[in-house]
Amino acid sequence: MNNIIQLTDVSKEFKVLNRREGLKGSIQDLFSRDYKTVHAVNHISMNIHPGEIVGYLGPNGAGKSTTIKMMTGVLEPTSGEILVHGRTPYKNRTQNAQEIGVVFGQRSQLWWSLPLIESFKILKDIYQISDVDYQDMLALYESLVDVQDLYHKPVRQMSLGQRTLSDILAAFLHNPPVVFLDEPTIGLDVSMKSKIRELIKALNQQKKTTVILTTHDMGDVDALCKRIVIIDKGTMLYDNDIEHLRSFFGAYRTLKVKLSKHITDYSEEAKNRAIQTMEELITPQFPNAHFQISAEEDWVNILINESEVELMKVLSFIQTKNKIYDMQLDEISTESVIKKIYEGDGGHEPA
Amino acid sequence: MNLRKYFTLIKAGILDFLQFRLGTFVIIVGNMIYLIVIYNLWKAIYASVDTPTVNGMTFEETMIYLVLASSMFSFMECFLVWEMGRSIQDGNITLALLKPMGYAKYQYFSLAGNLVASFFLTFIPTFIVIEIITNGAIRPGINLLFFLFSVILGTTINFAVDFFVGTICIYTESIWGINIMKEVIVMFLSGATVPLAFFPKTLRSIVDFLPFQAIYHTPLTILTDSTLTIPAMLSMLGMQCIWVVVTLLIGNLFWHFSIRAITVNGG
Amino acid sequence: MKTLSLPYYAHIYKMILIQDIKSKMSYRADFFISTIGMIFTNLSSLAAFYITFLNFPSVMGWSYHEMLFLYGFSLLALTPLQCLFDNNWSLRNFVYRGDFIKYCFRPINTYFYFISEVFDLKGLGQGAFGLVTLIYAWNKLQLPVTFLIIVQLLLALTTASLFMIAIMNFAAATCFYIINSGYVMVTANKFRDYAKYPITIFEPFFRFIFTFIIPIAFIAYYPSLLFLRTNNIPLLTWLSPLIGVVFFYLSYLFWMHGARNYTGTGS
Repeated sequence: MNNIIQLTDVSKEFKVLNRREGLKGSIQDLFSRDYKTVHAVNHISMNIHPGEIVGYLGPNGAGKSTTIKMMTGVLEPTSGEILVHGRTPYKNRTQNAQEIGVVFGQRSQLWWSLPLIESFKILKDIYQISDVDYQDMLALYESLVDVQDLYHKPVRQMSLGQRTLSDILAAFLHNPPVVFLDEPTIGLDVSMKSKIRELIKALNQQKKTTVILTTHDMGDVDALCKRIVIIDKGTMLYDNDIEHLRSFFGAYRTLKVKLSKHITDYSEEAKNRAIQTMEELITPQFPNAHFQISAEEDWVNILINESEVELMKVLSFIQTKNKIYDMQLDEISTESVIKKIYEGDGGHEPA
Repeated sequence: MNLRKYFTLIKAGILDFLQFRLGTFVIIVGNMIYLIVIYNLWKAIYASVDTPTVNGMTFEETMIYLVLASSMFSFMECFLVWEMGRSIQDGNITLALLKPMGYAKYQYFSLAGNLVASFFLTFIPTFIVIEIITNGAIRPGINLLFFLFSVILGTTINFAVDFFVGTICIYTESIWGINIMKEVIVMFLSGATVPLAFFPKTLRSIVDFLPFQAIYHTPLTILTDSTLTIPAMLSMLGMQCIWVVVTLLIGNLFWHFSIRAITVNGG
Repeated sequence: MKTLSLPYYAHIYKMILIQDIKSKMSYRADFFISTIGMIFTNLSSLAAFYITFLNFPSVMGWSYHEMLFLYGFSLLALTPLQCLFDNNWSLRNFVYRGDFIKYCFRPINTYFYFISEVFDLKGLGQGAFGLVTLIYAWNKLQLPVTFLIIVQLLLALTTASLFMIAIMNFAAATCFYIINSGYVMVTANKFRDYAKYPITIFEPFFRFIFTFIIPIAFIAYYPSLLFLRTNNIPLLTWLSPLIGVVFFYLSYLFWMHGARNYTGTGS
């Protein structure tokens, strides 16, 4: 399969002046320039296929924005090669800009005092969009969101959500093969977030646009991305399917069962008794599996590694021995997995 | 006595300067260029007439007047119009109204510290440099005391004018336009750009009936005109006092009238 | 894809300009007050000029009306800067807030895109003021009016305008390199006031400075010699269009280099 974006061993270094402390230091700074090299991005390689939505994740200062700036042609990589749609972005910034769309955080790129439709008209001419394509795009927009209400509103009078929506529409307007979205849902309320996610998804499907999305909101990732790339301190930690991410940690799920109708005794001893009973019940039956059992209020929780034993088997076995009044299943969330990766205990299969 | 803390203070001051060295450097260079231009211009003007005095002022007197006027202008510049305009626009003015002190009073006294500091930092050094260069053209004496009073009164009139103009920002969003109008009118009619002695008679008599000449012209005349008698200086101070009362009164009346409009409309 | 040619840029410029003017018109009060402010600025500056030179038949061989010619010429030459390049004043804020990056994502030249965003209408008032002054002086000096001279005048004005635009480009772009660059802009802006004086009033050293380092002498003095001293036109006058283009280009390179430099920092 051919790639629309190709990063090969890309690094970016910045030189930062080491400022010395105190009076003597600042006088020395006047005469000497003692630079420290910061490795913002370190030997990153990735290939992105046309039409993908890729979540690009990492804690603050991980190098996400630097990578995006390199892919948009604003920054030149120190080493390595970047190809976007077959071009080196930095060498052809203006041509590259023609074929990408960018939404950068909360910074609106629209004309502050102009109504949205006027901004669109200017963009139409800047990107030299033909009348037919322009009308098609507007028709598509109208079918997806209530854009009519926004057309005649100056951007500065819009709410943050409306502004983000407008910025995303503007980024897709010239139907670029690639769109970069840097934290598009930051600061928005729940309903606006889901509206924006639906819009991105619809545009991706209708126009086959490749979308690179950075975010701190795992809701965005779960709703939109099949594939995620995680970097921290400039180094790539993970690049694969989001499904695979969960199994990366072992396929853990928590089974919660309620074994008596009314529990009156909430003491520690009672909890310990419940845990012990459960352990004595299931451990002999599944000797190869490692369970972590805990108790809280009415529930007994069993953490099960499904690569060792299927959860359903455990559940049906318990049912043959006890009456189960109620049960729940807890998936391990993407958020907690990624948190674990950031914290550096990724990749280990817990024993 | 521990001298260490004084050294620490001085060090912090120098550090601060170096941190912002470029800004300071640029300001000094900018002022120097301004002085060079003014100096050359008036030298050329005086060279083109035969008499040593024009409108009763020698070249040296004109230069002293203009240099001191420009330095007074920069020390009195307090950006009050901008500050009022901004806080009216972003609504912070309501916070200021909650303070247990009249808004004008609050602004006046928070600016006062600033003005004292910049008086010592910009005006005094300029004055000393001029005294050295001109070999003491300004006779220090009782006039210094009168000058000091006159500067305080002048600053107050300047404040009152700024406060009045700042209040206009309640009615318009155009802070830039309002401020630039104020600036040029005050600069010109107070005699900071061209000494009032050069003004044609009719214009001069109009200017004398306006408060602006009491901002720079009166203190500067008290400082530089060695022929002034004490009663003459006293009567000049008296005129300034009247202007202080009048401008503050008008400013406050206008403010209270306008602020009622805000509170009624829920600005 | 079509090449990004001159007609393309002209078309985009027109689009953005018309939209900007339209949206400015929705703040009519602001526009009127700013324009009145601009007129006041020019009026007071002209009055100061009038008062200063009225009493003198000539300064260093320059008659009053010749000085007025320089004055009007400089105002006209500064009009394009005021009208078309005003966004340079906001550059600092965009850079410090991190919003500048939005100008780097479009398939057009960053400097062009940034500058195109603002058209300052009140600059037209200044232009009208300059034009009237120039015509008045032209008339009083009984200078000839021929087709060739009009063409020369237009060319001289256009190239003269490049100098101050370039100075402001340099000043604005300092914000890419240093903190606290506001003073640089304010100081550089004052240079425009000095452009209206004949450079001969300065000592040779400053003549050199104002010709080659801070080339404000090209804004009015050198081009005006083309009309006022027809029998003795120096080489620099003939070269001034070339120097203007080169100087502007250098300032553009400095600006763009800064823009590229800036986007390299920060995450």
